[in-house]
Amino acid sequence: MPQHIKRLIGAFAVVIILFLVLQSFLRPTSFGKLGHYRADAIQENKMKALHFAGSDKCTKCHEEMKTDKEVGFHAQLQCEACHGPGLKHAMYADKFKDGELPDSLLLHKPGSRKECAVCHQLNAARVKIVFDTINNSMIKQIDPMKHNLVDKRNFAKLVCIECHNPHQP
Amino acid sequence: MTQHIQHLYEVLSKVDGYVYPNEIELNWSILIVLYPYITGLVAGAFILASLERIFKLHVLRPTYGIALLTALSFMLVATMPLVSHLGKPQRAYEIMVTPHLSSAMAIFGFVYLWYLMVVLLLEIWFDYRRDMIIWAGETTGLKRFLYRAFSLWSTDISPKAVALDNKLGYIVTIIGVPSAFLLHGYVGFIFGSIKANPWWSTVLMPVIFLFSAIVSGIALVMLVYIVITSIRKLKIDMPCVDTIASYLFYILLIDFVLEGLDQIHRIYIAEESFDVLHNLVFGRLFFTLFIMQGLIGTVIPLLTLGTLQFYKPKIQIRKAIYTVIAALILIGIFFMRWNVVIGGQLFSKSFYGYTSFKIGLIGTEGYLMAAFWLIVPFIILSFLLWLFPPWKKKEDDHEIQVG
Ligand code: HEC
Ligand code: HEC
Ligand code: HEC
Ligand code: HEC
Repeated sequence: MPQHIKRLIGAFAVVIILFLVLQSFLRPTSFGKLGHYRADAIQENKMKALHFAGSDKCTKCHEEMKTDKEVGFHAQLQCEACHGPGLKHAMYADKFKDGELPDSLLLHKPGSRKECAVCHQLNAARVKIVFDTINNSMIKQIDPMKHNLVDKRNFAKLVCIECHNPHQP
Repeated sequence: MTQHIQHLYEVLSKVDGYVYPNEIELNWSILIVLYPYITGLVAGAFILASLERIFKLHVLRPTYGIALLTALSFMLVATMPLVSHLGKPQRAYEIMVTPHLSSAMAIFGFVYLWYLMVVLLLEIWFDYRRDMIIWAGETTGLKRFLYRAFSLWSTDISPKAVALDNKLGYIVTIIGVPSAFLLHGYVGFIFGSIKANPWWSTVLMPVIFLFSAIVSGIALVMLVYIVITSIRKLKIDMPCVDTIASYLFYILLIDFVLEGLDQIHRIYIAEESFDVLHNLVFGRLFFTLFIMQGLIGTVIPLLTLGTLQFYKPKIQIRKAIYTVIAALILIGIFFMRWNVVIGGQLFSKSFYGYTSFKIGLIGTEGYLMAAFWLIVPFIILSFLLWLFPPWKKKEDDHEIQVG
């Protein structure tokens, strides 16, 4: 075999060996323990900060909302679908007994036309989607630019929650 | 918490109709557009080089070396858009040290390595080994060291050894052509095999990707050749460029027909996804599909190159036309990738709605990042051309010795 072909094969061998050596150093230690991934990744994901508490947590303190909501059309909605992630709030809100929550614990209170419209906006694409498979009802749609837009008496622009109770619409 | 909600309303304003929550924001951005684009350029440039070698098309001789080096410099960068898209530079290497065969995406590592190590590097090595040894004797310092090292300190330039190099190089080229097809057919396969996405899921996808890759690679080599010769203030080899342009014409024509077939097929079978795609094409994709890819990237080049097959104006004019057309084709193919990658994510898999795509100038997924990964290959190419100038090679046609 000519000299340069030998060297070429040698070079390939060196590259492969180098790869194997590097691999044994660089491969994450927990890799392959449970499958083709880092087993530590599970632990790392568990450590991630939570953001949502879930309605059951909320209603422990906000009893009246629960009784309101349970009988209304919004019974199936999670509190946080409207109020936003509230774990921190749920954990620390009772430390402020007088009800004066610091800004970082305040939750969003969505009552504007735009915000209710996220779900109730007239949307041709959505008509066919049945939300509640038991009663076969759908999310009712309105045109937020038309539906009871102004107060006939004083021509003021009305927001949704002036007529609908968000917890029992 | 209010800023989360604010962000929600902001992204919701991009949405029309009904989309699933995980479809609002696009996960594959411009960097994923670059990946098939760059691999396509590699495959195309290599196939042009192989045409010269396998089919002994000696008119293409002046572009042989340039095509190989272009393929190599883009190949070295091909994975970078993907790696930088992952956005975890501190553990990006882990993907390379944990190869496996269980997903189509992971196979890319093997396809890539095969193509880079076994095809491109070997072919270039066999092609340049003798010249590197000769150049090592004529230069000093770092350059000399590089030549020595790259030729693996071999010294044998007897006619027998060189003939062996040519023979092995020829074999590598023959292996290389199907490998180039594999490399880019594979990229098309990745998209074509996603059956949940009607915009991607077609068996023609690998073939379309392949032909558009060849088109873009040839256009790139033609452009690089014209630019290099004018930088070196040499006369351009017109028969060579004319031949390349005629190949470009035919392959662009095939590519156009294939893509047309794909669309006709879609229109005729009119599956339940048809309406959503129809609105997509005439709405959010209109500009990039019909104007950039169709008109600028395909129709204008086709008409111009087609005309040039019958009517040949003066050399200066032809040169200018070729330069512009090559650039237009490169832009057009870029938007072809754009339309596939971005277009496939703009509509909801519920077929009831659309989202939209906004891209920033800066940031890890912005225009500047994309421009960066497109400029790096040219820097590598300049370096390679400086180190291995194809025009300084001692000419003797390897094909003649192979017989
Ligand atoms: C530990 C008891 C507790 C829990 C659990 C709790 N809250 Fe509260 N919440 C409070 C207190 C205390 C206040 C302040 C007094 C008030 O307005 O009633 C408050 C106020 C609020 C307000 C009004 C804030 C404002 O800006 O006026 C909203 C909205 C709210 N809570 C929603 C929720 C939601 C949603 C959850 C579930 C994620 C939740 N709460 C869980 C105790 C709690
Ligand atoms: C449809 C959206 C929606 C859902 C679901 C919802 N809320 Fe509300 N909530 C609102 C709006 C809007 C307001 C503001 C009402 C106002 O300002 O009068 C509000 C106000 C509140 C307040 C403050 C009451 C006050 O008088 O200031 C509390 C506490 C609250 N919600 C708790 C809850 C809890 C607990 C749940 C789940 C059981 C829940 N909300 C579910 C929309 C919602
Ligand atoms: C997260 C989505 C969501 C948001 C936000 C939301 N709704 Fe609803 N809404 C629903 C659903 C779901 C139903 C019940 C559908 C059913 O089961 O009938 C409903 C029902 C209603 C109904 C009863 C319609 C009927 O069937 O007659 C009214 C009124 C209403 N919502 C008003 C509001 C108002 C006002 C707001 C703003 C504070 C609001 N909604 C925000 C999801 C939402
Ligand atoms: C002036 C008071 C008023 C305001 C403001 C108002 N609504 Fe209503 N809404 C009503 C009344 C009354 C009805 C029931 C009669 C009807 O169907 O029009 C109703 C019905 C609805 C329904 C059920 C529609 C159906 O098809 O059965 C929805 C959903 C609704 N409203 C949502 C909203 C939303 C969202 C807003 C804010 C954009 C809003 N409303 C603002 C008074 C109001």
